[in-house]
Amino acid sequence: MSTASEVAIRFDQVSKAFGPKQILEQVSFEIARGEIVFVLGKSGMGKSVTLKHIIGVMKPDAGRVFVEDKDLSALDARGLSGVRRRCGMVFQQPALLDSLTVMENVAFGLRSPEFRAARAADGRPELSEREIRDRVVEVLELVKLDASILGLTPPQISYGMQKRVSLARTLAPGPSHLLFDEPTTGLDPITTQAVNRLIRELSRKLKVTSVVVSHDMACALQIADRVLVLDQAKILAWGTIPEIRQSREPLIVDFLSEALESEAQLAREPVGGTAGPEVRA
Amino acid sequence: MATPSFAREFWSVATRTVGWAFHGKWRREEILQHLVHHGIGSIPIIGISTAFAGLVVTQEIAFHMDHALHTTTMIPGFTGQFIMRELGIAVPALLIVAKVGASMTAEIGGMKITEQVDALKLLGIDPVGYLVFPRWIAGIIATVSLTLIALAVTLSCAILMAVTKFNFSTLEYVNNLRHFVDLKDLACALVKAVAYGAVMPLIACTYGFRCQGGAQGVGSATTESVVSATIAVIVLDFVLTYLFTLVG
Repeated sequence: MSTASEVAIRFDQVSKAFGPKQILEQVSFEIARGEIVFVLGKSGMGKSVTLKHIIGVMKPDAGRVFVEDKDLSALDARGLSGVRRRCGMVFQQPALLDSLTVMENVAFGLRSPEFRAARAADGRPELSEREIRDRVVEVLELVKLDASILGLTPPQISYGMQKRVSLARTLAPGPSHLLFDEPTTGLDPITTQAVNRLIRELSRKLKVTSVVVSHDMACALQIADRVLVLDQAKILAWGTIPEIRQSREPLIVDFLSEALESEAQLAREPVGGTAGPEVRA
Repeated sequence: MATPSFAREFWSVATRTVGWAFHGKWRREEILQHLVHHGIGSIPIIGISTAFAGLVVTQEIAFHMDHALHTTTMIPGFTGQFIMRELGIAVPALLIVAKVGASMTAEIGGMKITEQVDALKLLGIDPVGYLVFPRWIAGIIATVSLTLIALAVTLSCAILMAVTKFNFSTLEYVNNLRHFVDLKDLACALVKAVAYGAVMPLIACTYGFRCQGGAQGVGSATTESVVSATIAVIVLDFVLTYLFTLVG
């Protein structure tokens, strides 16, 4: 077990129900700092609910959720927004504001009153417009986009680019934990590979904890340090990739066989130029 | 339709929006953008509809007056009062509900289902202040302005009908009208317009925030929003008219 200071996120006997339907039942796990964890499961098995508990959008019916040793249930709105500031979430959809340009979207968090207040509380000066622009360009480069799209609005760029801009927006305020809600939904296999590589490289480069909600075991096998499989409101499996590969649970066996099939299919695809380049060191 | 949970959410949206006026940032460009989109964009539909409303009401009142009283001399008084106190205010308000309210619900609902609203929350921005406040201010200004335009158009068309079909001169109509309508009526019309303009965006945006599911959810929310806002306008019309009657 990790020591307290190494634990980034901890679920302690968390239960959650929507009406008669039990979504999570006494779920407990710990995620260490800097770890990449995939949360897998079929639809409606509480994967996104798990993420929403981490950012405090949902509260457990029973049990406690800790982020960096802070019990979310004991925090007031201000404390909760402090925790949220440490967590960047990438949504299933790009969730960019269509009326704003790429520059304004990515800079959004940097201009928010909360971000400015947090900097002031740390004794740091407010970012100038020049510094904001530099930061925006920096995070766009991290997600392999260049400054030429700064003046465009989301509808003027491709869906794949929108996903990257969304990731850049999440990275801009410098979160300690990245939460991804099905980040590759709606993407073709090649772009999916590129996004997966991006998640892994960003996590390593920025030394952030990454929690990825997905139903794609193939992605998990490629980039996860550990995998959490949820089924029937409980943890079905929780371990490293070799441990998961050894599981004989029928659901996990199904997931693994699908993953192998998908890997084989991807291997047959011609390698085109659509995959994004690697993140620059 | 209105339920206790809707009432709670409406109250929360309303108080946070009004609070934003004192503590939040007034994004003038955004307000102007909504004003142009919702206000100026609604002029043609309101102009055309109220023009025909003015023609119809004059024709109808003249017909019934002639039938019952065998005279049409009271046309200016009756049409003028009816237009200034009801028709010229209620018609644009209902059109604004249908056009602008529906558009606001669809916009916010679309943002809700594409997780833009959640993204705002996580970036530390109050979605109500950020999204609703500019629409609210623009809604009030647009409704008041459109009501003034609607009153002018409806009255002009009523005069046109009276002059061309019932042999009134413009001067005669206006002189007659002044005996029945005064500035107090205009003030009441403007108070009603402010009330409709303030309530309609709040109802529309609350339904937008309640939106769930995909395109179907946006469609349902939009329909419910238009129905509820229409009822709200009619109820408000009654309440305000009753209050004005009490005040005299």
